[in-house]
Formats: sequence, C-alpha cells, structure tokens
Amino acid sequence: MSEISTQTPEGGTPIAGPDPVYLENPVLDATVRMLVELSAQVWIERERRLALEAVLEQRGLLPREAIESFRPDEAQLAHIKAERGRFIEDVFKELRRIPVRDTQG
Amino acid sequence: MPQLARRTDAAYLDFVEGFRAYILGNGANFEQRLNDALVAEGEARGAALVDPGEISELVRAWPLGRLRDRLARTQQEMKWHAIRRSFDEQRAGLRAELERWDTSGPGRLLLDPDFVYPPYLNVHFHLQPGGYYKDELSGFLYHYGTKVFFRGDNDRDELHEKLVGLVPGPADGRVGRVLDLACSIGQSSTAFKRRYPEAEVCGIDYSAPMLRVAHRRAAMLGDDVTFAQRLIERTGFPDAHFDLTFAFIVFHELPLRIIHETVREAARVTRKGGMFAVYDFAGSREMSPFQRYHRWFDARHNGEPYSQDFCDCDFARILRDNGFEVAAAPVGKRSGGAGYMANWFATRV
Repeated sequence: MSEISTQTPEGGTPIAGPDPVYLENPVLDATVRMLVELSAQVWIERERRLALEAVLEQRGLLPREAIESFRPDEAQLAHIKAERGRFIEDVFKELRRIPVRDTQG
Repeated sequence: MPQLARRTDAAYLDFVEGFRAYILGNGANFEQRLNDALVAEGEARGAALVDPGEISELVRAWPLGRLRDRLARTQQEMKWHAIRRSFDEQRAGLRAELERWDTSGPGRLLLDPDFVYPPYLNVHFHLQPGGYYKDELSGFLYHYGTKVFFRGDNDRDELHEKLVGLVPGPADGRVGRVLDLACSIGQSSTAFKRRYPEAEVCGIDYSAPMLRVAHRRAAMLGDDVTFAQRLIERTGFPDAHFDLTFAFIVFHELPLRIIHETVREAARVTRKGGMFAVYDFAGSREMSPFQRYHRWFDARHNGEPYSQDFCDCDFARILRDNGFEVAAAPVGKRSGGAGYMANWFATRV
C-alpha cells in the first residue's frame, strides 16, 4: 500500500501512514495479517474443491481414487509450483512490512 | 462490473466480504462490546464520553480495540490487493472495453481535456489504490470495491434504487432536469432516469475514469444519461437549471470550504421549489461513543480525512444559510448499524 500518502491536502485529519502499528509491535501486526490472509487462502481452496467435486459428480467423470493417484506432468508441475509461489506470496508478503526498528502508526 | 481474472480472485474477495461482515457486524461483535465498555466508562466518570480524542485513547488502550483496528485495516487492504491484481491482469482488455464504449450511446460522455484536479482531491479515499482518478481503471476498482463494501447487498444497485426512490420530488411535481453531484459510476443517475424517464439526467464528477465507467454502465443498461467532467462546487450550469439536485455520500469527502461552496452552487443551480436531496454520514451529535470512535478511526486509517469535519458541522444550518428549507429524517438501520447515515431533503426557497 505504498502509494497511500500521509498528506492531507486541505485541512481535515492527518492520515495514518501506509503501515500503522495497532498491536504491541510490528511483528504481532504482521502475524495477525498473515492469519487472516491464510484464512482467505484456505477458503479459496475449499471453495474450489467444492466446485470441482460438484462438477465431477454431475458429469460422472472421475472416480475419487483417480485424484489420489494423480501425478502431474512437467507442465502441470510448473503450473502448480507457480500457484504455490502465489500462495506463499499472498500469505507471507506481510513479512516485508515489518520494519527493522519498531515504529508507531 | 467486469469479471475478475480468476475464480481464485472471486473466492478471495468472497472471503473478504464475509470476513468484513463478521468483524464489523455481530460475528465478532466488536462494536457492541466496545460501545458497552465505553458507556460503562462514561458512567464511572459521571458523564457520557463524547470527545473523540478521549474515546480513542481508551479504545486504543484496550487489546480488543487494537485488534479490531488491525482487522478493520487488514480487510480493506486485502480487498484492494485482490481487486487491483485481478484487474491489472486484464488491464489491456479493460482499457479497450472503456474505449469501445466512450463514443457509444445512448447517453453522452463529456470529458474535459483541460480539466485540472484540485489538490484537495489528492486523497486515497478508502485506501483505494490510485484514489478516485489516478488509475485509468479507478471506476472499475471502485465498483468492485463497493460490491465488497456493501457485502453483496448492492450487486444490482438495489441500494441506489431504494434511496433514489425515497427522495421526495418537488412539491409541484415538475421534474424536467436532474443533476447528480459527484455521481461516481452513475448508479444514482440511472436510477433517476428510470424514475423520471422524460427528464434530462446529468451526472457530474471530477474523475474521468469514474465517468467512463458510468457512461459504459448506463449505455449498457440502455439509459440515456449525460455524464460530464465538472467540479461540483463550480458546475458551470445556468442559474435555476435543475428541478432536482442530488448528492449521495459525497459531502464527508470534502473539506469544509468545498462543502460550503458546493451547497452554495447547489442553491444556485436548483430552481425555486426544486429539491436538493443529500444522503451522507450522520452528525457526531447523533452518534454513540463507539460510532464516534469509528469516525475517528475511519478518518485516519481509512482515507477519510475530511469526514470528521463534516460530521462535526451543522449541515442543516449550512443548507438553510444558502436558501434551503430542510426536512430531515433518519434513513434507518443499514449495514454498520443505525446512526451512521442521515438524509437532508432540502427545498429551494
């Protein structure tokens, strides 16, 4: 959120900076953010699985054991790894926002 | 509104919408619990708490208050993170989509190539990346952002239709021209066009990206509305030009100086007997202790730097001082709880 300015152009209330600290220290703030982010990622996976299982069931396409025995090919593996990178970035990007020295928002 | 790039993005924002409802509503029940504590503290001190500075010191001393703030800020940041990333992936296509509709009808899009954005608008309202006008996709970002904000209750513009429907027309029933001030993506403008199909409806806003989305949306719906890039405090319309002038949640995003100028301008362009209808935040005097805290927090941590001044001003008096008779009544309970919103139905005299 680096574009958010602390300037208030005309009167009004001073705006908090891009990374205000609400809890005892920035690490705690980041931990809470990561927890919420992780919850979002878990929900994404659950929603997708629910959709997938419903489609498979509707179409009678796939026995359940086929998912257990699935082995990705190279292209599929690359895609999964890219998705894994995106997942890790979403959850742990907060680590970059912890300053070296403690600050107050 | 445009589709998100991936099902994953939709699921992410679906989570944010649910999480937002949970922490701001009865799930976590922060508001009720913190308000009860503030009321009890006031009773212990012998007087109800009203000073936002005093209230904020208390709330921020309580772990529950700080955690609530952290979560409120986080859900807003998550929303914009996901929306912007999803639209960034489609940027070229969305740009082409806007260009395709710019010159299509019905309705007209009138952008001012010499428009200068006044400095007071340089705010990232609600933490929206790029604010309301710096990103060419600001209108799309705003539209999806409000979808999450309204927790799905405005997906078909239900809220705008309802609020426009509640506006009393002029007593003589004559509505030939309607002006929607700070129309953003034009949801109220099109609602007025449907309510008064024979009227000329014009929505104005400073943000070109918002107006482009407003025009595209209205044209897609088949609504003949004009959207023009103008300042609401200097509209450039002739005196007494409009029968009905409307402003939906804009005044709390203006400095006090511009609030006064905008009301003066609304009085100038609204004919005698015409209606100036305003929906906006309720005044501080009507707020519970926690609602006062929420305003304090929102001003500083949710890009609403002018909102405190608006809530503290006597808006009805500003209207009266500029030639309006004011009838006010509570809008009633909405998301966020009762007491956050108010309306002013003002007749030009």
